[in-house]
Amino acid sequence: MKTGKFAHAALVFYGILVLAFLYLPLVSVGFASVSKARYLSFPIRKYSTDWYGKAVESDTVRDLLFLSLKVAGIVTLLAMVMGFFGALAFARYQWRYRKLFQKLILLPIFFPQTVLGLALLMWFNAIGVIPSWKTAVVAHLVWIAPIATLVIAIRAYSFDPALEEAARDMGANTWETLREVTIPLLMPGVVSAGLFAFLLSWGNFPLSLFTTGADSTLPEWLYAKMVSGYSPLVPTVGMLSVAASAVLLALGLTAPWLLRSLRKMRS
Amino acid sequence: MGDMPILRINALTKTFDDFTALHAIDLNVHDGEFLAIVGPSGCGKTTLIRLMVGMEEPSDGAIWLRDQRIDEVPANKRPTCMVFQSLALFPHRTVGQNIEFPLKLRKVPAAERKARALELLALLRLPEDYYGKRIDQCSGGERQRVALARALAFDPEILFFDEPLSALDYRLRKTLEKELRELHLRTGKTFVYITHSLEEAMVMSDRIAIMRAGRFEQIAPGAEIYARPSSTFVAEFMGEVNLFDVSANAGDLTLSGRAAGQFSGQQGTLMIRPESLRILAPEEAAEVAVSGTVTAEYLLGSRIQYAITTAGDKSVTVEVLRENGIDGGPGTPVRIGCGASACHLIAEA
Repeated sequence: MKTGKFAHAALVFYGILVLAFLYLPLVSVGFASVSKARYLSFPIRKYSTDWYGKAVESDTVRDLLFLSLKVAGIVTLLAMVMGFFGALAFARYQWRYRKLFQKLILLPIFFPQTVLGLALLMWFNAIGVIPSWKTAVVAHLVWIAPIATLVIAIRAYSFDPALEEAARDMGANTWETLREVTIPLLMPGVVSAGLFAFLLSWGNFPLSLFTTGADSTLPEWLYAKMVSGYSPLVPTVGMLSVAASAVLLALGLTAPWLLRSLRKMRS
Repeated sequence: MGDMPILRINALTKTFDDFTALHAIDLNVHDGEFLAIVGPSGCGKTTLIRLMVGMEEPSDGAIWLRDQRIDEVPANKRPTCMVFQSLALFPHRTVGQNIEFPLKLRKVPAAERKARALELLALLRLPEDYYGKRIDQCSGGERQRVALARALAFDPEILFFDEPLSALDYRLRKTLEKELRELHLRTGKTFVYITHSLEEAMVMSDRIAIMRAGRFEQIAPGAEIYARPSSTFVAEFMGEVNLFDVSANAGDLTLSGRAAGQFSGQQGTLMIRPESLRILAPEEAAEVAVSGTVTAEYLLGSRIQYAITTAGDKSVTVEVLRENGIDGGPGTPVRIGCGASACHLIAEA
C-alpha cells in the first residue's frame, strides 16, 4: 500500500519517537559513564573515560562480572538442554498429559518474579539450603527454562515428523535419529533459546536479589550502588554490561553466516 | 516378476480407539512386481503402508516378509524402505549426504558411499554436480529423484511409496510416472505404491488393489479391473461408466442375440464403458442398443463425449472419435449400441 506525504512523515516521526523512548535512557547512562564528576548531573561539563579504566582494574567489578558470567553460563547450558527435551515433549510427541504439561510448563513465566524469588527463598530455607550463586542458578532456571522450552517448541512445531520417520525407516535407532536429524534441525531454535537464556539471566535482578544470599551478581551490585555509594563506576559497569550483551547478541545473529563461511573455507 | 509372494499379509486389522481402519485384510505381494494400492481418501491405504513399513503396530493379524514374520520387528530393523508423501529429504544435508544417509548408518566407508551416491545420481538422470547441492536448490522433480536415489541406496527388499507424486503439477507427474515404471523395470525391485490416482496406478503398475473402507474390493491387473470390475464401486472408481440394472429388464436397453442369452433375466448390473458404445446408423443392428436424445457434447481433443438421455430418463455417456461423431448438436435423437463382448455383468449381492 502506498502512503501519502503526510502519512509518511507521521510514520517517520512516530518511529523516531518510539526509538527515542526505548534508547534515550540507555544513551543517558552512556553519557553518565563518561562524566568526570563524581555525582550524576546534566548537562555533563567535563568528559573522561577514566572510569572505564578503573572498572577494568577493579577486583570487585571483575569478581562481579565473573560471578554473573558463571551464573548466566550455567543457566544457559541447562536451559538449552531442558528446553530441548521440554520442547520435544511440548510440540513433537503425542502423550497422555501433553496438554496439561503445555499449560503448566509455561505458568512460571507469568508469575511476578519477586513472588517467585520469595517463594524459592522460603523453599531453600525450608529444605536447609543456604542461598548462594548456586541457588540463583536454580531460581533463574525456574523462570528461564520455560522460555527456552517455548522458543525451541516454536521450531519443533515447524518440523516435519516424516523426517524422523524416514531416518528410522532407513535403519537409524533412537540415538542416531536424534543425532542425525532432530538435534541438527532444532539447533537454530536451541541457539536462540541459549541467547535468550543468557541475556535474561545476565540482566536478572529480582530473582537474584532473593536467592544469591551472600553472593552478588552485577545487577544487584548496580542497584546497591545506586541506592548508596554512587560513583560514575555504576553507569560505567552498566555500560560494560550492556556492551557484553550486545556483543553476544551480534555473535548469535551472525553465527549462521560465520559457520557457513567457515564451512566454505574448509571445503 | 515371480509368482512367489515376497510379502504376505494375513487377516491384518488396525483399530484406532473405536474406529477400525483395516478389517482383517489379506494381501500377497509378488517378488519383483509393481503393485499399486488405490482408493479414495480415508479408505485405509496410508494406514496399511505404515503397517507394512513398521510405523504402526497392527491390532491383529500378521505380516510376513518371505519366511520371516515382521509385524513385530521395529521399522529400523526391516529390510524395506519408503518414499514419503512429503519426500522427507533432510533439509540440513546436501543431495549427496541425503543419498548417502542409509549407507552412513551402515558405516560404509566415505569413498564407497560417494561412489554409490554418484552412481545413483546417474541412474536417476541427475548431473554429478548435484552431489553438493542443497535440497532447497532442487526443483520438485529433482527432489523426487533424490528421494528415490536415497531409497535405492538403502537397497530395500521392497520399496514402498506413499503418494509421492501427489503434490506435483500434471506434466511433471506424467513424466515421473513413466520414469518410475522404467526404474522398476531396470532395478527389478518390488514396488508397492499407494495413490488415490487411478491414472497413476494404471500407467505404472502390474497389479492394482482397490481399497474401500478398510477392505480390498478387487486385486487384479489394471486392464482386468477396468474391463471386469467386481463391484459397481470399482466400476465407477475406474473411470466413467454406464450402469444398467438388468434385473429390471435392462431398463431402456434392447438386448438381442448373444446379449439376450447372456444377460436377460440375470440379477445384477450391466456395465458398459463410454468408449465401448458407438452411434448406430438408422437401421443398424446391435446386440445391445438404446435410443435417446443428445443433451450435451464435450470435446476431448481427438475424441468427443456425448451425454444422452434415454426415454426412461437415464443419462448415458458415449465417447467416440471425432470423425465418428453425430451431425447435429444437443436435441438430436440417436441410437447407440455395442456388442455383448463389450458388456460386463456385475453380480452384486
